[in-house]
Amino acid sequence: MTRYILTRLLQGIITVWFIATATFFAMHAVPGDPLSNEKATTELIRKNLEERYGLDKPLHVQYGIYMLNMVKGDFGISFTQQNRSVNDIIREHFPVSATLGILAIVFAAVGGVLWGALTALYRNKLPDIVIMFLVILGISVPSFVFAALGQLSLVTINDWAGITLLPVAGWGGVGHMIVPAMVLGLGTMAFLTRLMRSSMLEVVNADYVRTAKSKGLPATRIFLKHQLRNASLPVVTVLGPAIAAITTGGFVVELVFAIPGLGRYFVQAVQQLDYTVIMGTTVFYGAFLVLMVIIVDVIYGMIDPRVRLS
Amino acid sequence: MSQPILTVDNLHVEFDTYGGIVHAVRGVSFAVAPGETLAIVGESGCGKSVSVQSIMGLIPMPPGRITQGSAMLKGHDILRSKQIDGEDIRGAQIGMIFQDPMTSLNPTMTIGDQIAETLIVHRKFTHKQAAARAVELLAASRIPEPAKRARQYPFEFSGGMLQRAMIATAIACEPAVLIADEPTTALDVTIQAQILDLLSDLQRDKQMAMILITHDLGVVARMADHVAVMYAGQNVERGTVDDIFYRSAHPYTLGLRDAMPTLTADKSHALQPIDGSPPDLFSPPIGCGYFARCPNAMRVCQTQMPEEFHVTGDHGARCWLHHPQSTHVVPRLFRARDAGDAA
Amino acid sequence: MAEVRLDASAFEHVTATRDVQTLTRPSLSYWQDAWIRLKANRRALFSLFIVIGLLIFTIFGPLFWRVDPSEQDLDQVSQAPFADRTARIVDAYQSWDGVMALPRGAGDTTATPRIELAQPATSQAVRLVWEPADLAHGYRIYRNIYPDDGGSALGLPLGEVFTPGRVSFEDRLDLTARTYHYTVVALDQYGAEYPDHTSIAVEVARVITAAQAEERGLVESAESVAVGDTLLLPLHPLGTDYLGRDMLARLMHGARVSLFIGIVAPALYVFLGILYGSTAGFLAGPADQALMRFADFVVALPFLLFMILFKIAFGIGPGESGILPMLVALVLLSWPATARLVRGQILQIREEGYIGASRLLGARTGYLIFRHMIPNTMGVILVTLTFAVPGAIFTEAFLSFIGMGVAPPTPSWGSMCNEGIKTMLTHPHELIFPSLFISITVLAFNLLGDGLRDALDARMRSRE
Repeated sequence: MTRYILTRLLQGIITVWFIATATFFAMHAVPGDPLSNEKATTELIRKNLEERYGLDKPLHVQYGIYMLNMVKGDFGISFTQQNRSVNDIIREHFPVSATLGILAIVFAAVGGVLWGALTALYRNKLPDIVIMFLVILGISVPSFVFAALGQLSLVTINDWAGITLLPVAGWGGVGHMIVPAMVLGLGTMAFLTRLMRSSMLEVVNADYVRTAKSKGLPATRIFLKHQLRNASLPVVTVLGPAIAAITTGGFVVELVFAIPGLGRYFVQAVQQLDYTVIMGTTVFYGAFLVLMVIIVDVIYGMIDPRVRLS
Repeated sequence: MSQPILTVDNLHVEFDTYGGIVHAVRGVSFAVAPGETLAIVGESGCGKSVSVQSIMGLIPMPPGRITQGSAMLKGHDILRSKQIDGEDIRGAQIGMIFQDPMTSLNPTMTIGDQIAETLIVHRKFTHKQAAARAVELLAASRIPEPAKRARQYPFEFSGGMLQRAMIATAIACEPAVLIADEPTTALDVTIQAQILDLLSDLQRDKQMAMILITHDLGVVARMADHVAVMYAGQNVERGTVDDIFYRSAHPYTLGLRDAMPTLTADKSHALQPIDGSPPDLFSPPIGCGYFARCPNAMRVCQTQMPEEFHVTGDHGARCWLHHPQSTHVVPRLFRARDAGDAA
Repeated sequence: MAEVRLDASAFEHVTATRDVQTLTRPSLSYWQDAWIRLKANRRALFSLFIVIGLLIFTIFGPLFWRVDPSEQDLDQVSQAPFADRTARIVDAYQSWDGVMALPRGAGDTTATPRIELAQPATSQAVRLVWEPADLAHGYRIYRNIYPDDGGSALGLPLGEVFTPGRVSFEDRLDLTARTYHYTVVALDQYGAEYPDHTSIAVEVARVITAAQAEERGLVESAESVAVGDTLLLPLHPLGTDYLGRDMLARLMHGARVSLFIGIVAPALYVFLGILYGSTAGFLAGPADQALMRFADFVVALPFLLFMILFKIAFGIGPGESGILPMLVALVLLSWPATARLVRGQILQIREEGYIGASRLLGARTGYLIFRHMIPNTMGVILVTLTFAVPGAIFTEAFLSFIGMGVAPPTPSWGSMCNEGIKTMLTHPHELIFPSLFISITVLAFNLLGDGLRDALDARMRSRE
């Protein structure tokens, strides 16, 4: 098991290195640079700035310096926000994105497993039809529309209640998190519900469930011990990609609900070609996602004995 | 036959499918007594498994449907009740073993837990008692190192071992009836013999009634006291094992025998396959299901379904050839009249 | 058992003329069977019709609804669907001197007692007159589209009046035919607001001068209409957006962008994926390993970042829509999933018994590929393609939504949503229509994909 984790970590490091390299060169291949906006007004200022940021050196030297600093854990200083290190930006804003993301994934996973199991048990009956209709809707409606609808319903609810039950935008207390997290998790929940349903339908007709019935076990026991556990295995395997999807979706939700997360900074940085912020956030997100996928796989190993022992 | 413990009478089962209604079982009757083995034989799709699964309540409804018939266990119709005198039928009164042991056990639960849960549910054992009993049952099913094996998962077992574990599960509550649905089909030949030995030993010790479903006539000869031959959703002939093998009263049974290799037969004697295929049960024939393949078909066979004709003792056959008006003489086909003549 | 007496002829032996029982179900080819199953699936069939309808809407719609999607109708900005589109002809604008009045000096009032309209409010001008507040040194005028809810937000500050004695204000700022809520707040000598204020709701009527009507082509000549006549402004069945552009025309042209990217990009990258995946599957061994490692790395790239970098790297020249860079980026980044799927399928099929059997019978590689491998992977590929369409439409919408998609003024459903979300509370139709179109399209392709999967999946055939 330890060896497995170490191998996976090593692979992960190679992947992160690859992402960093590809991003670095792709970014520099793009015409323009962060100084071409408005700061470098004269040739001299430009030259000074280039020197300060090391942009005057050949690209491979810049790459070497960046990689060295990165290994030390230093992502450099932002081009567009003076005197702010990328590490600071990540330290300040990532916890916001992470909190939102974790809430969303928990909401999506719990909802997905429960709804999916329910629809499979009531196959082609009313609960199945209603939930699957909502699921199809959830998959078909873009996240920003959900975000807009979420905000609209908050406004309506607050209006109706006469007081601010839940804040419409911003970040702070638990109240700020609930609706954005739900909006963020909705699409993934719909996807997981579908997956859980088909996996559950497969399990419902599995030979070992027939055996469990022949043993005369009560329906709840069959459901919990024999169906739910086996059916939720595929859901666990897609949690890694699901986390990635939620991270991407986070941009939109952060934008609409004015949440000071890392996603907004990232989009902004890309638009301004802020080299260091792009590199820093990309590498950080890349490493985070790689780590998440490894953790999910290890968890999967723990609940599936076939993987655990082989 | 001594007093039967389970009597199934005129069972009919249908399934709704997207192509129409399949009449999978169209009148099946059999009985089995304690300490005796009834073999149900027939080719694939003849309704063997569906018959016993509907008795066990394992048919998904819908699309499945029991339209007629009864199954009496200890004087209660178990098609209509799930319990007898406060005890569950499934698992406690009747145990069942399935064809494919590799997929019939829960992959994420230890073998011991899977045996123990029956005892916890039906016998109200504590977890500790149940776990200890599970080890004993594994030992009784001749699994070496039962204590270690009980803590393992199905994927760590071989097919034969899994089937032993399956048997241990089925007999955990000492059921009155044990149903084995092709228990050896998925196993290789040497293991088959071991599993069959285990089954007959356990049956003798516990005086269980056993229903053995198979399409292997060798297994029938070895295990069965009584036999029911099924074809196209009906039992076409039933009787003792000797009746079926030596006094076959239905052309289909004769056909099956001719299709079976024997050690004694002359080397030049070719196996005789039965030409054609069974009728489509989406629209079952009005007359005898075997009409299209029967070498002795008569006009009536096409238009009217034969009732079961009594041959001798418990021996019966669904075939118009046994009608008193039928004058056809079929060599090798056993008829009550012939028995009378011989006597 | 009571035996039935039957006619003796019933027991005659039948031999040759037995009509042998045949299988009553007709035998069908794979695709015939799939088509029958798809037709039986009402949801999938309905989705197929929706997809066809959308394509007709996109391809032929602009031929019938010939409104320029970037033309602005300034008389009807953010117009709701089916809203009143009449306009009254008025005289040309004439300046207004305003009203002067002195406080009556009745007490220490800081609030303006009453606001009135100096003349009926029109989209040309709204003229407000109020009774002076005793302690006021000046006034600030706000305009809001919501009623005053007790003072938390008064809306847009229009201007301030500091001329002593002046108690009037003229608003000519972007007036549209709707209800406005004007608020007048008295100011002290430092320009700070007193806490009290008075509001008035004003219903603005849409008016147009004869000259404007002629200029916009609404009438033949300015002389053909008289002041007080009403005429109909151009029809916008689905309303207009915040710049007065016709929603229906924009949705049709936006559909061209969204569906083009949504269908062409998956088609291209699925094709690329098939080529790559089948090559890897056929070569097997180390070549396969190397190819698949490369695919893994492409998957690991941060999708959004590279989409944006591609777009910037391509550069969008003036007048270009930015569709092509988006298409290229989507294709270059999305192929590995299909490649992996196809490779898996090929590797699996290679080992199937029927391939071995076919090879034993002397089949050549080409025959194996076209007779066995392609038909057996076709179903999976078709289903992947159907599910890839919603994905691509979402990506386009997402990029356009964060402002990284097609360049304005080219409409796409995503960029329309982006614009619509800003006016979501006041003009919901600007968000509702494009998001409805995205949702319906994605819904249709998802249901169609479901139906296709059920129809093509051989395992499902035996299950039901």
